[in-house]
Amino acid sequence: MNKELTNKNNLRVAENRVVRKAYATVNIDGCEVKAPVGEILAVTLFVNRKLTLKYSSRNKEPRGFFCLMGSCQECLVQVNNRIVPSCQMVVEEGIIINTGINK
Amino acid sequence: MMENFDVAVIGGGVMGCSTALYLSRNRMKTIIIDRGALCREASGVNAGTLTLNMTRASLIPYAIKGWELWNSTEKWLLSSIGTKKVNGLSLAFTEEEEELLSQRVQARQAMGAPIKLISGKEAQEIEPGLNNSVRSAAWCAKDGFTSAYLTGHAFKKALSQENSEVMEYSKVRGIEIVKNNFKIFLENNEDITAKRIVLAGGVWLEEMLSWLNVKIPIKCLINQLIITERMPTVMKTVLSIANGLLSLKQFDNGTILIGGGWQGLGDKERGGVEAIPENLRGNIRLACHAIPELRSGRMVRVWLGLEAETADALPLIGNVPGISNAYVIGSVHSGYTSGPYMGWLLSQFIMGQETDMPLFEPSRLIN
Amino acid sequence: MTKTFPNDIQNVDVVVLGAGPAGVAASKAASQEGAKVIIIDENASAGGQIYRAPPNEFQPHNSFKSPEFQEGEKQRKILSNSNVKTLFNHRVWSISSDLVISTIGANGLGSLHPKSIIIANGALERIIPFPGWTLPGVIGLAASTILLKSQFVIPGQSTVVAGCGPLLIAVAYGIIKSGGKVSAIIDLNGQLDWMKVSPKLLSRPDQLLKGMNWFATIKKAGVKQYNRYTVTNARQVGNMLRVSIAPINSKGLILGSKKQTFVEGECLTIGHGLFPSTEITRLLNAKHIYDTLKGGWVPVIDNYFRSSIPGVYIAGDATGISGAFSAVQKGRIAGITAVRDLNMMSQQNFEAKVKSERNMLKKNENFGKAAVSLMSLKPELINIITSETIVCRCEDVSRSEIDEAISSGARDMNQLKAWTRCGMGPCQGRTCSDAIEAILASKLGSRELAGQWTGRTPLRPMPIDEIIGEYSYDDIPIPEAAPL
Repeated sequence: MNKELTNKNNLRVAENRVVRKAYATVNIDGCEVKAPVGEILAVTLFVNRKLTLKYSSRNKEPRGFFCLMGSCQECLVQVNNRIVPSCQMVVEEGIIINTGINK
Repeated sequence: MMENFDVAVIGGGVMGCSTALYLSRNRMKTIIIDRGALCREASGVNAGTLTLNMTRASLIPYAIKGWELWNSTEKWLLSSIGTKKVNGLSLAFTEEEEELLSQRVQARQAMGAPIKLISGKEAQEIEPGLNNSVRSAAWCAKDGFTSAYLTGHAFKKALSQENSEVMEYSKVRGIEIVKNNFKIFLENNEDITAKRIVLAGGVWLEEMLSWLNVKIPIKCLINQLIITERMPTVMKTVLSIANGLLSLKQFDNGTILIGGGWQGLGDKERGGVEAIPENLRGNIRLACHAIPELRSGRMVRVWLGLEAETADALPLIGNVPGISNAYVIGSVHSGYTSGPYMGWLLSQFIMGQETDMPLFEPSRLIN
Repeated sequence: MTKTFPNDIQNVDVVVLGAGPAGVAASKAASQEGAKVIIIDENASAGGQIYRAPPNEFQPHNSFKSPEFQEGEKQRKILSNSNVKTLFNHRVWSISSDLVISTIGANGLGSLHPKSIIIANGALERIIPFPGWTLPGVIGLAASTILLKSQFVIPGQSTVVAGCGPLLIAVAYGIIKSGGKVSAIIDLNGQLDWMKVSPKLLSRPDQLLKGMNWFATIKKAGVKQYNRYTVTNARQVGNMLRVSIAPINSKGLILGSKKQTFVEGECLTIGHGLFPSTEITRLLNAKHIYDTLKGGWVPVIDNYFRSSIPGVYIAGDATGISGAFSAVQKGRIAGITAVRDLNMMSQQNFEAKVKSERNMLKKNENFGKAAVSLMSLKPELINIITSETIVCRCEDVSRSEIDEAISSGARDMNQLKAWTRCGMGPCQGRTCSDAIEAILASKLGSRELAGQWTGRTPLRPMPIDEIIGEYSYDDIPIPEAAPL
């Protein structure tokens, strides 16, 4: 039964358990990706295995999201030339996301 | 503590710390006392700007010396506080500002400041991130900044190395003159005896002088400072505007500090209490007008620093009026820059030497 | 202070900060007594963390609607059927000493001028740093809850679930239920610790049953459970995380090396308990007290949830960790107390209502206390923070830098911050404060001596372009010129 719930290598719970009514195309570091409208952007990046979102201030080590609720500020990405926490934004058609701040 | 000190400095900001450092180097048995940690008030929370553009014209010679000291801290302070020497620009965006700028430049040039009036276009060559609408600018090559919050730690180390006694977290509640000595009473009922005292309490000088029955009113400004998170490089100079009410710089770590003296709410007793939202927005709008790229960042902290100002906006450096062996130093607008040099001058005075530059007679301000 | 922003709301009695279970209960209760109430939350709808709503565009199948989802829907409905005005997608960035609330939202800056404020901003997750905790793929337990409950995503093809408290078991259960694999559960608590709290769990038999179902599911899935173990290290090996673990005693001290081992997973989800969020109460300079039984630093409150500041009330986990159920009663009591203090309610009516809420509160609070004791910080756990471990993630400040600053004389949190830059980054100390306070306290002797960081504005980083809006140079109220 468990195998029905998620597609192999797909972290999203399958559509027979939760319907995601609409999909949009977003651009992640130059690649076009389909993602469910309304999904948290940090989660979209995570599901697409973009685990490294930025590089740390002094040591320039790779960082991904930690808290997912707007507190830790580790999920910072660039959206339309602004630095934003990706856990505070959701998927909309046409969003352009760039990871890798402070590389 | 019953030992008899040659000098007790009350107030551990940059003025008091510098004075204490020079005196202890000249073999005076020194103690410096602060109710908190060294340089945690104005000297630790200011914007760190080392500027001639924003220094009062008559204080330019002192600020130039101060600038030189901050640029050679390894020699006298023995550690770095991140001093960065960069170009300074004071900007004019309107006709009125151009006129004001021209006046201020002339006044400072007359006092020996290496400041030059340049066109908006020339300013943009020095600072490409500038708004295209800049009309003219005052350019000073001898400009820059430090990381003010590192000052206390540095002084503490230097003073300890000179065997100066450093007494932090000790509040003084009064002073008495006993025979030919000063008895300094602390809140925990300890007392300290010294042959000489130096009052260096910044915005609290008015209260300190009243311990000795001397009345000099000191105004307390509540200055707003704003810092962003680390951002990509958008500027490489220190910026101000014609009337002085902006200070803008980007540190090596990418954070951008916005200041300039916009006021918040607070007082001497409570400290800085809160920012005034319209002033917060206004200060940031002004900064963004100068460097439009600033818009892409985020503000992460606002704080308020208390700054002291005398009635004529010039410092107090010299004898406490009417009391021998008692000295006072401080309360000067943008005093961080000239602090180490003014401390040097007072130390010369205390040791009976002729001072390299004139002092500022405190008795002129007696009420 | 007379200039008004475009979104200036004057006519309001009570503003509630946070639309989790406590805030919703408080606002509904106050509004029912006739007060004009506004509830404000940075999320798009009510629910807080525990009842966080999935996106509107997601439709879970009926059999997949968890109890939390259903409770959340119920609360959202209660709110929309009430007279409470809601301000979602709005952030509070400052509160003045006369309770003027500065907000920022889609329409830019705004302000609210209430007579009273109820703070219901909940809790934060504690995480004690260890080597490798900053690796991408290491996430909090609270983050996993959001992934599972509101995003319908599993944290990894295989996940190591570690830490302490009910969240640990809830997340493991949630992963299994969603079709994921739990590599192992690494629990700081032993079976004895769980058994010790079971009497308290009995005060909510429905929840106890739910918990037992969780354990049964986990057992059935064959998940290896390590009790009284801590994570000591995480390393990247290929696209897996190799997580080293070691046995500990009841104080969190790591025991001999024989039983140390490792587990692997694509993701490591870890959290060391919850503690009340005090960022707003510190900003207001309210009095605080350190109480391990409540999760750590909490604002000082009376029996009616009044803080040390007149007009300011606290509800929910912000008063001390005690869970979502007691949050409702706390919220209701705070809400009606606020209204009573505004003289909008009779003393008789007030006392009757408070009495009935207190009875329910006692039951729920007992249950909550069980959770807290499982989540309380084991004092020796800070030993997993080795000297090279990064403690302040924002500024890359290591344990050795912090230890050095303390040895050279930094004697309170604020001085430590000034000397090392820890806490100066965009997370404003939320992630690292508890660990750093614990480190400083271990050297100074107590949490009280170490203190807390001074509350500062803004409460969250604020996008500059949202602060400034559109303007011309003439709009800027530049102060008078400095002296010549």
